[in-house]
Amino acid sequence: MKYFIICLSFLFATSIVAQEKYSTKNGTIVFEASVPSFEEVKAKNENVSAILNAETGDFASLVLINGFRFKVALMEEHFNENYMESSKFPKAIVKGKLKDFSVSELSKESTKYTLEGTITLHGVTNPFETVLSISKEGDTLKIESNFVLKPTDFNIEIPKIVSNKIAEEVNVNAKYSLLR
Amino acid sequence: MKKRNYILIAFLVIVVGAYTGYKYLYKSHRNIETEVASVNVNANELVKMFASENSELVLNKTVEVTGTITEMDAQSVTLDEAVQCTFSELPQNLSLNEKITIKGRCIGYDDLFEIAKLDQCSLTKQP
Repeated sequence: MKYFIICLSFLFATSIVAQEKYSTKNGTIVFEASVPSFEEVKAKNENVSAILNAETGDFASLVLINGFRFKVALMEEHFNENYMESSKFPKAIVKGKLKDFSVSELSKESTKYTLEGTITLHGVTNPFETVLSISKEGDTLKIESNFVLKPTDFNIEIPKIVSNKIAEEVNVNAKYSLLR
Repeated sequence: MKKRNYILIAFLVIVVGAYTGYKYLYKSHRNIETEVASVNVNANELVKMFASENSELVLNKTVEVTGTITEMDAQSVTLDEAVQCTFSELPQNLSLNEKITIKGRCIGYDDLFEIAKLDQCSLTKQP
């Protein structure tokens, strides 16, 4: 009987914890730094992890740099070896808190929330702020965000020979379907 | 006659140069499915390799991982709750609790979920 109660309380406790958290391992990040009339500089990663704590509004997202796929194989190689140095800095992380977030306010129509926190990329941590559009359907939270990053802010040097073929501002689009 | 030969040689050099240049710039992507795996381990051993700072042995390398399917979704399976393997197209006949071996490219270790991730996976062994 004692064991039964202990087991039951464990079950209960884990279900409460599970209810607060929404997560995914298959989010998508696409970034583009193309310059008109030059080769497209664009890559996609479909293995992005994200966790949202619905009680507190804490949000974290992690992306593995090696998982970005380019159309041109040589571009992918240079991205990893020369610019991101992905063997030294294999991941990028955004950690932050959503301002005035509450799950009960969410609906099928997307609501905009401000995320404030930090971004770590190429071994450099910078303050970070972006807007997330969040909508809710059943147990799924759909999150989308667009923001701009500058390679120079993260100590990423782009050699002069190619600098006119890569935009100074990189447009990033992130999409997640978080499940409870 | 001599002049003609020079022109011909110059022409050949240009063609070969352009061809190798093009080949270098637009070389094809790695084919993970046909590459030989550099390590062949269990799902939990792969995660341990990241913890013990042996990640350069597996990062961006083709690896073969054996484990039991503990989670499945549209594009990926998770082995022993430790390694997530993403396919471009998930094989049809997989089911939970099945022990399989998967070949893929190891893209790194995810601290949020405490799992290693593979992409461009293919099924190598199924009982």
